[in-house]
Amino acid sequence: MVTSSSVSQTQLISHLLRRAGFGGTREEIDSFVKIGYEATVDHLLDPPTVESMPQDIIRRYHVDQSDLRIQPATGSNWIYRMVTTTAPLQEKIALFWHRVFATGQTKLIQGKVIMTQLQMFRDLGLGNYRDLLLGLSRDPAMLMWLDNQDNHNGAINENYGREILELFSMGVGNYTEKDIYECSRAFTGWTIANEPYNAQKMRNNTARPYGYIGWQFRYDDSDHDHGDKEFLGEKGDLNGEDIVDIICKQRATARFIARHLYHAFVSDELPVPQWPHIGPRDPEAIEIMADAYFKSGYSIGEMLRATFNSDFFKAEAARNARIKSPVEVVVGSLRLAGGYEWPTWDVYDANASCGFMGQSLLAPPSVEGWQGGEDWVSTGSMMQRVNYASKVLGDAERPGVRTMVEELSREVKPGNAAALVDACLERLGYLELEAATRQEIVDFAADQVGGLSGSAGESKNFAAERVVVSILQLAVATREFQMA
Amino acid sequence: MTTSASSSIDIKYLTTVGFTADFGGRGFHLPTDLAVRSDGHVFVMSRSSHTATPGLRIGECDIDHEFYGEFGSHGRGEGQFIRPSALAVDSRNHLFAADDELNRITEFDAKNNLVQTWGVTGDAPGQLNGPSGLAFDREGHLLVVDHMNHRVQKFTSNGEYITQFGSQGHRRGQFNYPWGICIGPDGRVYVADWRNDRIQCFAPDGEFVCLFGESGNGEGQFNRPSDVAVGPDGFIYVADWMNQRVQVFDSEWRFQQSLRGQATLSPWATEYLAANADEQRARESFQPVIEVDTDDPHEVSARIESYFWDPVAIEVDEEGRLYVLETNRHRFQVYETRS
Repeated sequence: MVTSSSVSQTQLISHLLRRAGFGGTREEIDSFVKIGYEATVDHLLDPPTVESMPQDIIRRYHVDQSDLRIQPATGSNWIYRMVTTTAPLQEKIALFWHRVFATGQTKLIQGKVIMTQLQMFRDLGLGNYRDLLLGLSRDPAMLMWLDNQDNHNGAINENYGREILELFSMGVGNYTEKDIYECSRAFTGWTIANEPYNAQKMRNNTARPYGYIGWQFRYDDSDHDHGDKEFLGEKGDLNGEDIVDIICKQRATARFIARHLYHAFVSDELPVPQWPHIGPRDPEAIEIMADAYFKSGYSIGEMLRATFNSDFFKAEAARNARIKSPVEVVVGSLRLAGGYEWPTWDVYDANASCGFMGQSLLAPPSVEGWQGGEDWVSTGSMMQRVNYASKVLGDAERPGVRTMVEELSREVKPGNAAALVDACLERLGYLELEAATRQEIVDFAADQVGGLSGSAGESKNFAAERVVVSILQLAVATREFQMA
Repeated sequence: MTTSASSSIDIKYLTTVGFTADFGGRGFHLPTDLAVRSDGHVFVMSRSSHTATPGLRIGECDIDHEFYGEFGSHGRGEGQFIRPSALAVDSRNHLFAADDELNRITEFDAKNNLVQTWGVTGDAPGQLNGPSGLAFDREGHLLVVDHMNHRVQKFTSNGEYITQFGSQGHRRGQFNYPWGICIGPDGRVYVADWRNDRIQCFAPDGEFVCLFGESGNGEGQFNRPSDVAVGPDGFIYVADWMNQRVQVFDSEWRFQQSLRGQATLSPWATEYLAANADEQRARESFQPVIEVDTDDPHEVSARIESYFWDPVAIEVDEEGRLYVLETNRHRFQVYETRS
């Protein structure tokens, strides 16, 4: 294993931006190299500005992104934010919790309530886990997703009570069936306002007569079971807040969340159902993250700070070792290509492309979200991934590509193929290729440059631009570009 | 509704017309503008969503809930639209519709037959980049808010360029992505200067007269005003789009009232519920107005069905009735005004 000291700051910061964001442009990486790695971690965790394309502008042009009823509108709205944000880790953590706390439009029908949930993930996702888990327990989308509106005093529905323990905090093996029952009792009366009508509209999948009605949390004390309960050894008239407090104190919770964070930000882990039977890939890393959880008073941001500054995160074995998720491929490509400066129909294509690659936003396949890792890759999805990146980075009308082409076409000259290819790779966020792959592209470039004077009916400038675009397209079609 | 102590106008809710109809038929889908013809017929332009393209059309109805039909569709052909934005009716009862992506104006006759389309994309005089507001002046010329060029252009109804005023900026007479437009009873031109959070007023020849408003959510403050209308009595109505309300001023810009919306079920909605007993039963316990736990007006509107949700366009007819079109609720609310 190569230790972090032997890796350049540029490589490390590129790695960090791929994991804590959607990859950096050359300019972003260079500017972070100037302030240093740890300061970059601080910047990502506490960005000085949080800006993205304003919602008023988006809503004026895409009216369906105001009521946010259907998936193309919701997913596209999120793509806008991910592509244009100055705070990429905030979006990455929202994406992370969207997987862990998977909630789907397939059942809820209206997308706006999930968009509201995602905003809660942005607001609380890097903060105190107790606040987040409490926010989740009061989140109307989650309550309806897991049927807690049907969880009544004297007639419990354990769906939320089970999943908060199994999927959202400790994992199987750290509680009993009795704990699930008592937990469910504690969450009786946690519902939404106007539940009968809103639930009926959801069941009927109808926006009639006047569109959907936004859901709001409502605590109905008259439907809450105030009897004594015993949960994980603690007794009393426990309510949902007490349950969350008890959950957050458990070492199992810290380890469970750490393992999820490790899977998303460091290296692929096994599917969650296997965790009770097979230990983590790097137990020492999990303990470091769990320690940070308790030392910081349950802070997710501090768990990530400890992770990003650790040797296990910086190790060469960890770099370029994760398969990018479809959203990372799409958003990363678009950010490299200059992002979006104004509303465009292109965002709907980007959203659809995520779905074609297997990650339809706001529509996770189950309560366990997307597993990721090698599951992202199939014959069909790989074609989609390569074609999408190649299409975006091959479009010289996009502002970022335009700049690359204008700068690099000057370098298109005989005998300069290797330097030209390296310059292209730099502009793709210091993309690191295997030597043989790079040589293939250099040979291609040399061949193209050599043939320039022979192109009939084509201006030299245009031909040079074509060569640059071709190199960019080949570079993002490599295996390495698919990795984070 | 908030009312100034010195308010000199009475505004009374009359009715709500509309119904979610995202694949055509009686109702609207994500409408962006309406126009009221002299015979009381109301034309509503449904832009619809990216995927529900059959929902894009112009619907014709009246405030007695009579639905007369629909015309226009999604596409780039004559009489079709991609991103329809604005409507206006001329003295012949011809309907003009703008498309801010195709950069063209489409004219229909009084029987809704296609007459012509015109418009050339660009930023030169007479060219268009994002026509978003339409109004006929007293001479029968069509004023077009050319919003991406930050100006208002004047054309004959056949599309012959006459003049223009405005440029990008925040000084007097300049615009920042303007949107709606109307002509006052005195012939003055009022423009919703959208991203400058103000309304500007011009003489019929385009000479700057006054501006009003600033950013905010207090009285006389706006958050992205999308449209403006002036009644026959001179009272001014502003669709305060991001504040999810309509503000009412007298002709001297003295604040009168703020409307938040009070929609009721239209007969079209009532018929729907009568045909869906499960929803009707579930609605029996429905509390239309709840105490919300958010200050975001957009979110408040999402949770309270009777409130305006994206009040995008307003009109005042010859009898002083105020029409407020709401994109996200697929309906318009009608109010009677009396000064």
